[in-house]
Amino acid sequence: MTQIFHDLNESQRQAVTTTEGPVLVVAGPGTGKTLTIVRRIAYLIQQGAKQENILAVTFTNRAAREMKGRVNALLGSGADKIFIGTFHLLGLKIIRDNLTDEFILYNRDEQTKLVKALFKDSGMNARQAADRISRIKSFTEDSYDPSESPLVEGGIINPPLKKGLGSRCREALQREAGGFSEQIKRVYGLYQSALAKNSAFDFDDLILKPIEMFGNADSCHFETLKRVQGDIADNDNALLKKYRERFKYIIVDEYQDINPAQYRLLRLLAGSDGRICAVGDPDQAIYSFRGADVEHFLNFTKDFGGARTITLTDNYRSTGVILNASGAMIKNNLKRIDKELRPAGESGSPLNIISAPDDKAEGRIIVSEIEKRIGGTSHFKLINKKAADEFSGQSYRFSDFAVIFRTNAQARAIEEAFIESGIPYQVIGKGNSIQKKELEETVSYLRSILKPENPPIPPFAKGGLTANEEKLLTAADFYDPKAEAVTLMTMHTAKGLEFKVVFIAGVEDGLIPFTLNKEDVDIEEERRLFYVGMTRAKDELFLIHARNRFIYGQRLSPSPSTFLGELPDQFVQNRVIADKIRSREKDRQIGLF
Amino acid sequence: MRFIADLHIHSKYSRATSKDMSPESIWRWAQLKGITVIGTGDFTHPKWFKELNEKLGSSGNGLFKLKDEFKSDNVPASCKADVSFLLSAEISCIYGKNGKTRKIHSIIFVPDFTDAAKINLALSKIGNLTADGRPILGLDAKELLKITMDASPDAMLVPAHAWTPHFSVFGAASGFDSLEECYEELTPYIYAIETGLSSDPAMNRRLSALDRITLISNSDAHSPAKIGRESNIFDTEISYKAMIDALKTGKGFTGTIEFFPEEGKYHYDGHRLCEVSLSPKETIKHNGLCPVCGKKVTIGVMHRVEKLADREEGFKLKGAPSFHSIIPLPEIIAETLKVGVNSKAVDNVYQSMLYKFGNEFKILMDVPLNDIEKAGSPLLREAISRMREGRVHIAPGYDGEYGKIKIFEAVERKEIKGQETLF
Repeated sequence: MTQIFHDLNESQRQAVTTTEGPVLVVAGPGTGKTLTIVRRIAYLIQQGAKQENILAVTFTNRAAREMKGRVNALLGSGADKIFIGTFHLLGLKIIRDNLTDEFILYNRDEQTKLVKALFKDSGMNARQAADRISRIKSFTEDSYDPSESPLVEGGIINPPLKKGLGSRCREALQREAGGFSEQIKRVYGLYQSALAKNSAFDFDDLILKPIEMFGNADSCHFETLKRVQGDIADNDNALLKKYRERFKYIIVDEYQDINPAQYRLLRLLAGSDGRICAVGDPDQAIYSFRGADVEHFLNFTKDFGGARTITLTDNYRSTGVILNASGAMIKNNLKRIDKELRPAGESGSPLNIISAPDDKAEGRIIVSEIEKRIGGTSHFKLINKKAADEFSGQSYRFSDFAVIFRTNAQARAIEEAFIESGIPYQVIGKGNSIQKKELEETVSYLRSILKPENPPIPPFAKGGLTANEEKLLTAADFYDPKAEAVTLMTMHTAKGLEFKVVFIAGVEDGLIPFTLNKEDVDIEEERRLFYVGMTRAKDELFLIHARNRFIYGQRLSPSPSTFLGELPDQFVQNRVIADKIRSREKDRQIGLF
Repeated sequence: MRFIADLHIHSKYSRATSKDMSPESIWRWAQLKGITVIGTGDFTHPKWFKELNEKLGSSGNGLFKLKDEFKSDNVPASCKADVSFLLSAEISCIYGKNGKTRKIHSIIFVPDFTDAAKINLALSKIGNLTADGRPILGLDAKELLKITMDASPDAMLVPAHAWTPHFSVFGAASGFDSLEECYEELTPYIYAIETGLSSDPAMNRRLSALDRITLISNSDAHSPAKIGRESNIFDTEISYKAMIDALKTGKGFTGTIEFFPEEGKYHYDGHRLCEVSLSPKETIKHNGLCPVCGKKVTIGVMHRVEKLADREEGFKLKGAPSFHSIIPLPEIIAETLKVGVNSKAVDNVYQSMLYKFGNEFKILMDVPLNDIEKAGSPLLREAISRMREGRVHIAPGYDGEYGKIKIFEAVERKEIKGQETLF
C-alpha cells in the first residue's frame, strides 16, 4: 500500500484511486503520466481485481515495454496476465483467440505492394491508394459520399495537377470524374478480396476485424463502413459480452491520439457502465494526419456520462522557463482544455534562440554545443577550456541529447554534421538516413564474408514474438538499448521521450508551421507539434532557425517561425551566428600528431 | 625468435591521419623501422576492412602478409625484411557510468577476417563505423569487452594508452581508479594494458594491482614515420597465438621500446593556453589551479600514477620485462643539426644512415657507436650514446604539448664539435 502511493501528489493519487466509473486524466508533459498509470494498475490489483481484468492500451511498443517493466518491478512478481500493449497487439490477440484460420499480417510496404500488383496498369499511385484504403478502413474517411472526398485532394488517382500530370493519368482522371465512388468501391472490393485470398490482414484489419467480430461492421461491404454509427454501447453480441466481462478495467494512454476505429473498438469494450480511464493531453494531439481526432478527448465527458476529470499539473521534467515559455505559446490554441503546469524544479536558464547562417551551420552549432558538454570527443577537438570549465560540474552522455525537427527531409544536413564529428547518433523513424544506407551496405558485405561458415544472424533479437507480432515492431524498436547516442527524430517520434538537452532545428516559417508542399495547414496541430518538441527538454532548450536552407530541391531564405514570436521575451535569449562560423570552428582544433 | 611488434596504428580512414597510411606504405615503413609484426589498425572501418581483405593474404598463423603484387621496390636492401600484419582496431567508448562521463579507448586484436567481421557486425548495431577509422561508440567499455569475447574466443582487448587524461581507463578526466571499477567481473579477461607515450613500465609498476598485467607499448601512429616509435619485443614463434599467449602469460614477452615518458604529451600537469607546466607537487601547491589564469589545470599521467600508486618511486618488480628508452632517430639528427625534425637535411642524414646500417631500431639500439661516428658525426655518436644511457634532458610534456628534448647544452655542443675539427 505504501509503495503504491509513494511519492504521489494529490491529483496523481486521485487518478490512481478513482476506479469506479469513467475517468479522464488530463496529463500534461512531464506530469508523471506513466507513473500514475502503473500505480493505478497496482492499486486495482491490490483492491482485488484479477490481472486478466485489466487492459492497458498504449500508443507505441516502446511505451508498452516501459509500462510492463515498471508494473513488473512494482508488483514484484509476474504480471503476465495483465494486457499491456498497443491497439494493434490487442486486435491481434482478439483475432487470434477467436479465429481458427491461420493468417499473415501485411505491413505498410506489403500492403502497398499488393495495391501496386492489383492496379499496375491503372496509373494509380499505390502509396496514396493504400493510404486512402487505410483511411476508409479506420473510419477516418466516410466511404460513400464522393462530395466529401474530392478527387483532386489526396484522391486515389495520382493527383498533383500542379506538378504536371502524366497524360495517361489525366485521361484516367477525366474518365473517372463523376464516377468516383464507383471507382473507389471497385478498388476497395478488389483489394479486400485479394487480402482474403492470401489469408492476409493489414494493420487496419487488426482494429476493424474485432469490431466486425463484435457485430459492429462488415469489412466486405463498403457501404457499411460508415463513420457515423448509432449508440454502439447497446450491442449485445455474445463475443463482445465475453470481452466486456474480461476487461473490467480499461486504461487508455495517449487518448488524444486515437483514431475513429480505435475509438469505436474502445466504446464497444467499455460498454455502458464505462469502467474506462482515458489518459492524455489534448495539447499533445499530433496524429490527425493518421486520422486521430482530438475531439474524442474533448468529448470524453459527453461520451461517457458521469465521467470525472482529473488534471495532473505538477511537472517533474522541465525547468520553469521551458514550461512557462511553451505554456504561453500553446495558450494560443482554441481546441484545448485550459490548464496551468507547475514546475517542481528550478526555473533554469533562458531558452536559446539561435539564428544560423544556413542548414549546414545549424548542424555544426548543434554538434559544437554537444561537444562542449561532453568535453571533447577526440584529442583533436579537446582543448576548449572555457567550455570545459562551464560544464565541469556536470556529467553528460550522448543519450542526454536530442535533435528534433519537423520533417525527415531536414535530417540529412544534421546527419552530415554528426558524421563529420564522429559523434554517435541514431535517426529514429522512417526516412532514408545516410547511416541506415551505409549500415545496410556494411552488414550485407560482412554477411557475405561470414556466409561460408555461419548461419544467417537475425538482424535484431526479437525474443519470443510470433511472426505476426514481429510485424508490429517499428524502427524505433530496433535500437540496441546498450548503445548511447544522440537521437535525431521528428516531433512526431519524439512524443513521450525526454532529454536533458533538446535542439529543435529549422524553427522557421515553412517548416514550423509546416507549409512547404502543403496547402491546408492545421495551425493548431502545428503549434501542438512544436509544443511537444519543446516539452521534451529537461534542462536546456535550443531553438535554431537558418537564414538559408536547402530543402526539397530548392534553396530558401526562410523567416524565423511565427511561433517564436509567441514565446514571452523574458524566457528567451537570442544569438545570431555570423556567416563565418566555419573558419571559427576550425580554429579550435589543435594540430595533427 | 626475437622480433619487434607495433600493434596499434591507424589507417588513412582515421581522423587526422596521413593519407599515406595504406597497406603498401605501412609495409614499407615497418621495414625501415625494424618492425616484424605490425597491427593493421582500423579493421572496424568498412572500407579499410575491404582493402585489407583484398591486399593481405593469410600466412595461416593468424597473421597476414602483403600480397606480392602490392609490394614496391623502394626499400633499401639493408632494411628489407618480412613483415606480418595483425588485424587490430581501436574503439573509443564514450558513456556514462556511476554518475560520470567516461571516455575509454580500447585496442582489439583478432586472428582472422571472420572474427573481425563478427565484431564489426555486432558493433555496427551500436553505432556508426564509417565516420572514423577509430569509431566513437556510446557503449560501456565493459560491454565492448563482452561483445569482443562473444564474437571470438581468440580475440583480445587491451585498454589503450591507459593513462592519458581524457581517453583512457585510468585517465584523470574521464577514467576509473581501478580496472575492476571499469570491467567488474570481466576484469580477469584484461591481460595487458598499453602504457602510452607519457608513462613507462617503471611508473606502472608502482601499482601492485597491475602486477599480473603485461605492459605493452605501441606507436598509435597516424603517419608512416611515427610507426614503431613505441613497440614490443617478443621472443616467440611468429604467430598470432604465440603472441597472444605471451601477452597473457608474460612468457616470451621480453620487453618494450619506450619514449622517455617526459616526452609524452601528458607527462606533467599544466595549462597549455597559459604555457604553464607543473610537476604534481607544484599542482598540489596551487590547489590544482593554473597560477596564471586560475582555471583548472589538466592533470597529467605522472600525477595520476602518483595518486593511484601504492609503491614508492623506484620500485622494481621482480621478473618484469626490461624496457629500452629511445628517442626517434630523426629527432636525434635534428638535435645534432640544430634544424627542424621535418627538414630536408634531417631526412637526408636519416635516409643515408638507413641505407648504410639498416633499420632505425638497429641504429638506435645495436649499431656500434664507432660505426655511427664514422658514417655520421661525433655529435651523432655522442647523442645516441647518451640516449642509450638515458643521459638526456627533457622538458616534460603537459596538457597536450609534447615534451622538449635536449641532448646537449650549448657549451657541450661546442666542445664535441671542437673535437670534431681536431681530428
